[in-house]
Amino acid sequence: MSIIGDVAKELLGMFLADAGLTSATLILVAIISALLLWGRLDPALCGGLLLVGCLAILVEAVLREARRDRGA
Amino acid sequence: MSPILWSTAAPAIGAAFLASLVEVVEAFTIVLAVATLRGWRPAMLGTFAGLVVLGLLVVLLGPLLDHVPLHLLQLFIGILLLLFGMGWLRKATLRAAGVLALHDEDAIFAAETAEMQREADRKRSSLEWIAGLAAFKAVLLEGLEVVFIVIAVGAGRGLLWPAAFGAAAACAAVLIIGVIIHKPLARVPENTLKFVVGVMLSSFGVFWTGEGLGVSWPGEDLALLVFAALFLATGLVTSGLLRRPMEAVQ
Repeated sequence: MSIIGDVAKELLGMFLADAGLTSATLILVAIISALLLWGRLDPALCGGLLLVGCLAILVEAVLREARRDRGA
Repeated sequence: MSPILWSTAAPAIGAAFLASLVEVVEAFTIVLAVATLRGWRPAMLGTFAGLVVLGLLVVLLGPLLDHVPLHLLQLFIGILLLLFGMGWLRKATLRAAGVLALHDEDAIFAAETAEMQREADRKRSSLEWIAGLAAFKAVLLEGLEVVFIVIAVGAGRGLLWPAAFGAAAACAAVLIIGVIIHKPLARVPENTLKFVVGVMLSSFGVFWTGEGLGVSWPGEDLALLVFAALFLATGLVTSGLLRRPMEAVQ
């Protein structure tokens, strides 16, 4: 049971180590998908938004953790 | 393999090699702790059992990938790569900035040895059994990440074999060096590797998520280089900015 629990924890940890980063990334992909389905924006522009959004999410996640660490 | 195929396969091989190197070093530290405490028999048995379970997972789940439409597979794997890669890059950036402590294989080796001894005392069970189980878990858990990385960097473009070759090369490299020096591989620059791998996996993640959504990237595969440069620059600048205030305090 402990091994199955550890495997589940490992798998979750691989993708959900930072809940904020995970949820922001999923929301970004959902928004880009909606924009592409809506069809008003150029796909290449949507790709650029995806890239910039991911970079912004990364910076925010790092700064948030650093602030939390210094506040502790 | 033609030169064109090599140029397509090289990023997958490189990403799988470097990412697997990090995971295999972590598994090797624990297997070595088991071998030091209780001998190579339980260490090898646990490692072999872990590899068998991983092999079964690949054999059972691998063929399912052929039934998933390519765009859906690229989107699904792209999102997982984004979450996994950006998670690594976040942690590597925080470690580079000195916010999180660096990974210390020597400390992990000592902690794992002590933990196995405590576990044996507490449960009053055979130390050999606990040692074998520890090796099994280490290989299984770290191996799961290697399997994911191989599938993630290989499946979107039919490059599973080159990616598997990269991972196998990493296993062989760690094993050969480990057998020669017979110590935890504490000198492997793990955070630098994690930084590089985080950059590569995040770049693959953006690329395949975009392709899965129907984005045609300008320059096609070359776009990966631009993404990698941007992720690298973002990580380095962010860690630099975080380090500066701390250095000013010291």
